[in-house]
Amino acid sequence: MSGSSGPGPATIAALQAALAAEHAAVYGYGVAGAYLTGASRATATADWVAHQVTRDTLEAMLRSRGAQPVAAAAGYQLPVAVRTPAEAAQLAVILEDRVAAAYLGLVAVTAAAIRRFGAEQLQASALRAAAWRGSTVAFPGLPANSLAGPRHV
Amino acid sequence: MAAHPTRRVVLAAAVTLPLAAVSGCGGADVLATPPRPAADVDLLRSAIAAEQLMIARYGAVTGGATAAVSSALEPLLAEHRAHLAQLRSRLIVPAGSPTPSPRAPAAPAGVPSAPGAALAYLRDAEQAAAAALLGRLPHAPASLAQLLASISASEATHVPVLGRMAAR
Repeated sequence: MSGSSGPGPATIAALQAALAAEHAAVYGYGVAGAYLTGASRATATADWVAHQVTRDTLEAMLRSRGAQPVAAAAGYQLPVAVRTPAEAAQLAVILEDRVAAAYLGLVAVTAAAIRRFGAEQLQASALRAAAWRGSTVAFPGLPANSLAGPRHV
Repeated sequence: MAAHPTRRVVLAAAVTLPLAAVSGCGGADVLATPPRPAADVDLLRSAIAAEQLMIARYGAVTGGATAAVSSALEPLLAEHRAHLAQLRSRLIVPAGSPTPSPRAPAAPAGVPSAPGAALAYLRDAEQAAAAALLGRLPHAPASLAQLLASISASEATHVPVLGRMAAR
């Protein structure tokens, strides 16, 4: 698709990592939605569908590059116990943060189309996370330890 | 001569290269052929200028806003300051070189005075800035692309916040 040499192993690995994060998000939103009602539940459902759509896109991207997409796990250990609407929202934030980090991995890929896709999905994830968190952050997807303090030469 | 100059050296070279080229390559041979690092520096400079302009826009809006609106804008403004600091930390300028970092841009023109219109102006500016950063990604090295993409995502999250404030 992009060039004759085909995608490198780093590109495939980044796509697989994003797909794995989407699988986990699809599972996690399914759990979160069960503990939500009203507008929050509608939001969770919309986000759940968005993750399914992106999962399907990633699978197609991998197949078109000759790679077998990673499968979803049968079950996932949730990062937080969910019994209340607040915990469900907390889970959604964590799921989005993990998805965002995976999409930053796609941004590091040199192929422009994949990089752009990763950046657009990072935006989408940051928007969902901000809605669940109720506030914004300065550097969606970036781990704090990757942010340098001012340096001087 | 090092076969693989460090990133820092390369960036420093990029800053000084134009001067060396103009002066006919009289000195510093080590700096004569850096492996095309200038894109980094240009991207950083334009991203820095864009953040400075955004901060100036917030300043223009908060200057005419109520205390309540100003304090509601403060978290967003703080994130822009964090963006600017992070971008500046990646721009390595050798000590003693003429300060090439861009001056603070002139105060933005055309800021609406009506509160709702001023907030909508910021919303539109955030949307445009987020999109502009996406357009710069193809030319950036991986690490800088990640920072620009993250800043773009942060700016995208400001859009609905400002939109809700403007609609009030």
